[in-house]
Amino acid sequence: MRWRQALLIITLLVVAVVIELTVLAPLPWWGATPPLVLVVVAALAFAFGPVTGAVSGFVGGLLLDLAPPAVATVGLSALVFTIVGYALGRVFDADERPLWLTTVVTTMAAGASVIAGAALGGLLGDERVRWEDVPGFFAAIVVYAAFLSLLCVPGIRALSRRVVPESFRR
Amino acid sequence: MRDLRRARLVLALLILTSITLIIIDLRGGSGGPLQPLRSVAAAIFGPLERGAAAVVSPVRSLVDGVSSWGDQQDLIDELQAENERLRVAVDTNAVERARVEALDALLGLASDVSIDIVPAQVIAVGPAQGFAWTVTIDVGSRDGAETGMSVLNGGGLVGRIVSVGPDTATVLLVVDATSTVGGRLAGSAQIGIVAGSGRQDLLTMQLLDPLAPVESGDVVVTFGSQGGRPYAPGIPIGVVESVTGTPGQLTRVANLTPYADVSTMSIVGVVVSQDRVAPRPTVSAVPLPTEPSVSGG
Repeated sequence: MRWRQALLIITLLVVAVVIELTVLAPLPWWGATPPLVLVVVAALAFAFGPVTGAVSGFVGGLLLDLAPPAVATVGLSALVFTIVGYALGRVFDADERPLWLTTVVTTMAAGASVIAGAALGGLLGDERVRWEDVPGFFAAIVVYAAFLSLLCVPGIRALSRRVVPESFRR
Repeated sequence: MRDLRRARLVLALLILTSITLIIIDLRGGSGGPLQPLRSVAAAIFGPLERGAAAVVSPVRSLVDGVSSWGDQQDLIDELQAENERLRVAVDTNAVERARVEALDALLGLASDVSIDIVPAQVIAVGPAQGFAWTVTIDVGSRDGAETGMSVLNGGGLVGRIVSVGPDTATVLLVVDATSTVGGRLAGSAQIGIVAGSGRQDLLTMQLLDPLAPVESGDVVVTFGSQGGRPYAPGIPIGVVESVTGTPGQLTRVANLTPYADVSTMSIVGVVVSQDRVAPRPTVSAVPLPTEPSVSGG
């Protein structure tokens, strides 16, 4: 099969998880931590479509649920990111879209993922969820996701074209 | 059309798998069927996080330095003032101290309780939007870390270890909303339960005795558990900021400011043992020297 594609996706997601937890999260950001893993999932969905988007979302979310210091319920981020990956892949199947549009859609997905994560956590009885924090997280994540997607979406698209050109022969 | 059907099938399968994982994890809790999965992730991501942290730690300290630039002068002034106050306090307390030292020596407390601390570095932090206050430190089971050990820094209690990998351990910080610590007011020895609030600058302490005298400025230390786990006794937690409720009311809660600033933490210590070197000597009542008997008379 397309093992190079699988290898590329796994590598990108592992690197994103490590960077998010060790580089981004310890720094004193305003509001929330920049959602690098989510943006990488979005970029992969834009590059490869809904199937790869959903699989990348599942894997990325699961890694984020499992990599230390995660203590939340396993599968929560996986569920949210799967849906994000699928939806973005559906919206942008095959065609290359303008950068501003991918950026806007990524920020919307990032904002939705914050609310979905808090709602799911609350529904499952996670006593950590504080709804008064959610508006701040939402505002911060939307801004960070916009910046990150400006970098990641074109970058990962170009990388994907080089590593797995056969996926882009249309 | 075939592609779309396939995509929907994949989506449905992945959603189902996620929900299954969530249910298994919720039912099993810690040590449940997903524990091996977490252990594998810790074994793989531990070394990766250590490596990444080693690369970026100079950058991080630079950013921390720059972001706290404006506070430095204030801090120096504050410390100088505090120094003065402390010097006066030390001078006036010399007599008290001598007495306390004598008592300590009598009970053998000072030498009998030894705390061994393994220094560790914080290498990863949970994303803020996950609501959990947890960090990864770079000591694991190979360094003697075990689940339940207390973690502290120069300020005070930081948290406790909730899971251990070969090279790393996950620490649940005291400010996490699910964290509870047995606390004791250092002055009056009243006990209570110190719970995290999910905010980095606030802890709440529920006093067991609703009539307990407590006021702002009181220091709270850990109550301690058997064997020093999950918390070793006597570690400072925080200082009382305000008290809600009046004496006698059923729920009387003190709001604390934690001593350990979890947002700028880099070096912490893991309390690996708190063994008594020798059993504590008993203090037996020594018969008072009798008056020299005067013979004759």
